[in-house]
Amino acid sequence: MSALQLLLVGVEEAEDREILSGGRSRPRLRMESLDANFPVRHRKVSLEAKGNKTEIVLCSYEDHILVIATQIGAMGTILHARKEEGMSVEPTFSVSVIFGKRDEPMLIATARRLIDHISSYVPSKPLVLSLGLKDHSSETLKEIVAAVIENRLW
Amino acid sequence: METEYDQVLHSVAQVKIADQTGVNQDEDGVKVSCFTEVLDDVTLHFQIIRLAKQIYVWIGYNSAKFGNLYAAASTRPSNTVSVATVLGGTSDNTGSGIAHRLVMKTGLNIIMACNIPKNNPLLEAKAEKMLMRKLIDLGYTMPTPLRAT
Repeated sequence: MSALQLLLVGVEEAEDREILSGGRSRPRLRMESLDANFPVRHRKVSLEAKGNKTEIVLCSYEDHILVIATQIGAMGTILHARKEEGMSVEPTFSVSVIFGKRDEPMLIATARRLIDHISSYVPSKPLVLSLGLKDHSSETLKEIVAAVIENRLW
Repeated sequence: METEYDQVLHSVAQVKIADQTGVNQDEDGVKVSCFTEVLDDVTLHFQIIRLAKQIYVWIGYNSAKFGNLYAAASTRPSNTVSVATVLGGTSDNTGSGIAHRLVMKTGLNIIMACNIPKNNPLLEAKAEKMLMRKLIDLGYTMPTPLRAT
């Protein structure tokens, strides 16, 4: 704990950005760990999606990206998404639920959206996505995807 | 002297109240703790993410590789501990023992990622001990662990 510095970044900045983009005026709170010695970088984002308080933690490991989005205080359903090594021009992705609800296609779509984004920056890192949400509506998931992309570590 | 004593008692009572409010605030958010320990020629990295009802732990052996992912929790009705390998971890089960014992001793619901190589029980034990100590220090353990001893 002694080497850890917490930086409160741009709450007002985020608000301005959202107002300029003509979108919602809901503030997002972002905290980043500036412990330079620790090999894993992480970032915490707090937001409200459809009235539910959502905490997102992004971690960048050497060979994986971990994204935890929780409204229920637990990790919930865990998905694994990977870009497939292929010969064709268009990339293919393998997305699967490895723990939890296997009958929610919106969760799989969220993981697919995120790995698509991640692989354009770091193609070799698979994604482990944990979604512990109260509702699986597309509005909530879109907000989460937007927050993750906005606060990416890659 | 009496008034000083009263003052000290009063300030101690205030400290207790402050601690309680601190705990309530912590429960609202997600807390991330990271630390590194060096053992002989091995560097162990630990990352603990505390969610309200679950704890995520990552143990890194000399690198920042994610490793194998395990989920462990106590299962009703007899409070025995179950461990599931969620990602990776073929037959070596290196991290699953740690996850199992963590749940037994702390009573927490745990998701653990660990890249400690297999056939290294001493290293596993040391990593487990460090992690246990840190979890207790951070106050994450439940008051009554599952095991009697």
